[in-house]
Amino acid sequence: MKRNCKNLLARITTLAVLAWLTGCGQSHEKQAAAPLKPPIRQELEKARPQALQLKPVQVTENTRQTYQWYCAQCHGIEGKGNGINAKLLTVPPRNHTKAEYLETRTDEQLFGAIKFGGLSVGRAPCMPAWEHTLDEGTIHSLVQYIRELCQCEAL
Amino acid sequence: MILRTLAFLCLGGFLSIVPSLSYAGILEDKDCGSCHRLSVEDTKKKFSGPDLHFAGNKFQPKWLKQFLQNPGVIRPAGIITNPGFLQGPPENLPPHPSFLEKDARTLANSLTDLKISGQPLEPVIIEPLSKGQRAKIKYKFERTFSCISCHQSLNLAGKVRGGLSGPSLVNAGNRLQADWVANWLNTPEVYTAKSRMPRYKMDSATRTEFSQFLMTLKKEPASRR
Repeated sequence: MKRNCKNLLARITTLAVLAWLTGCGQSHEKQAAAPLKPPIRQELEKARPQALQLKPVQVTENTRQTYQWYCAQCHGIEGKGNGINAKLLTVPPRNHTKAEYLETRTDEQLFGAIKFGGLSVGRAPCMPAWEHTLDEGTIHSLVQYIRELCQCEAL
Repeated sequence: MILRTLAFLCLGGFLSIVPSLSYAGILEDKDCGSCHRLSVEDTKKKFSGPDLHFAGNKFQPKWLKQFLQNPGVIRPAGIITNPGFLQGPPENLPPHPSFLEKDARTLANSLTDLKISGQPLEPVIIEPLSKGQRAKIKYKFERTFSCISCHQSLNLAGKVRGGLSGPSLVNAGNRLQADWVANWLNTPEVYTAKSRMPRYKMDSATRTEFSQFLMTLKKEPASRR
């Protein structure tokens, strides 16, 4: 009798443990199976700092003149990274006509590099910050101009 | 007695005007105005040389005199407004005329009189910098503000390095006035309508540090700095 009781208790315990384990697994499976929803664009824009929000801008004659006046000193007249300072810099200026690198950078990263300087985006300190020289609209249009030069978009 | 006083005052006034007339005269005689802006009012013409209407604020008189006797290249890429500025160092840049000692002295005195009145004054007290302080400021000069990308400068071992598009700062300590450097960094628009240099918003302490650092840049053996 005692033995039967012990066997029954053992069976009940085993079943309970199995039920609990299975339940955990399901729950776990449920968690794993939960789709990783990519954040929608609006959410991303909400999360971005105000200054880095993308604005639809056009490349104008003013953009090209600004590039020639300031950027061409290092990046060259045609943006090939061969400006008059280029050979004397520790790190060569970016060639804006090469898509290979620029398509790996987002527009926000290019905007940040122009506005806050190379160091701000983990690049060379040779690139100064233009935040007190150029307004944000001009910087956005320069980003678009660089996209024109490289004929590329961010991947 | 009154007549004598009036005569004295008139003569005194005349004497005080005479030197500036002769200074202005020599600038005209040597035709400096054909390449350099010598007056605040002269905004219409395009000049092929740097603006000198604030030469008295900017340059050290001793350096001016030496330069006029033995001119050197300060802007290896030429003047920023000249066509062809971005094409590389101009190979056939006409040399600046050199002058005899007497004329150089009169010209330097004349240029020292050219000042912008009412410019914001930021007196800089020049204190000797320790090697550690120089290294710290040099770090800011090169990495935080990227000045080295456009200006030639001296590294801590006295070697020339840096870009060409801005004026060379290799001899800035002999050429520029410390107060002017701080004022330029604070309010460049007082001196030029449009520069190719980024505008910075430095605090007063950083401007002073930069002035002091530039004053250490001299074309002299490192041991004498």
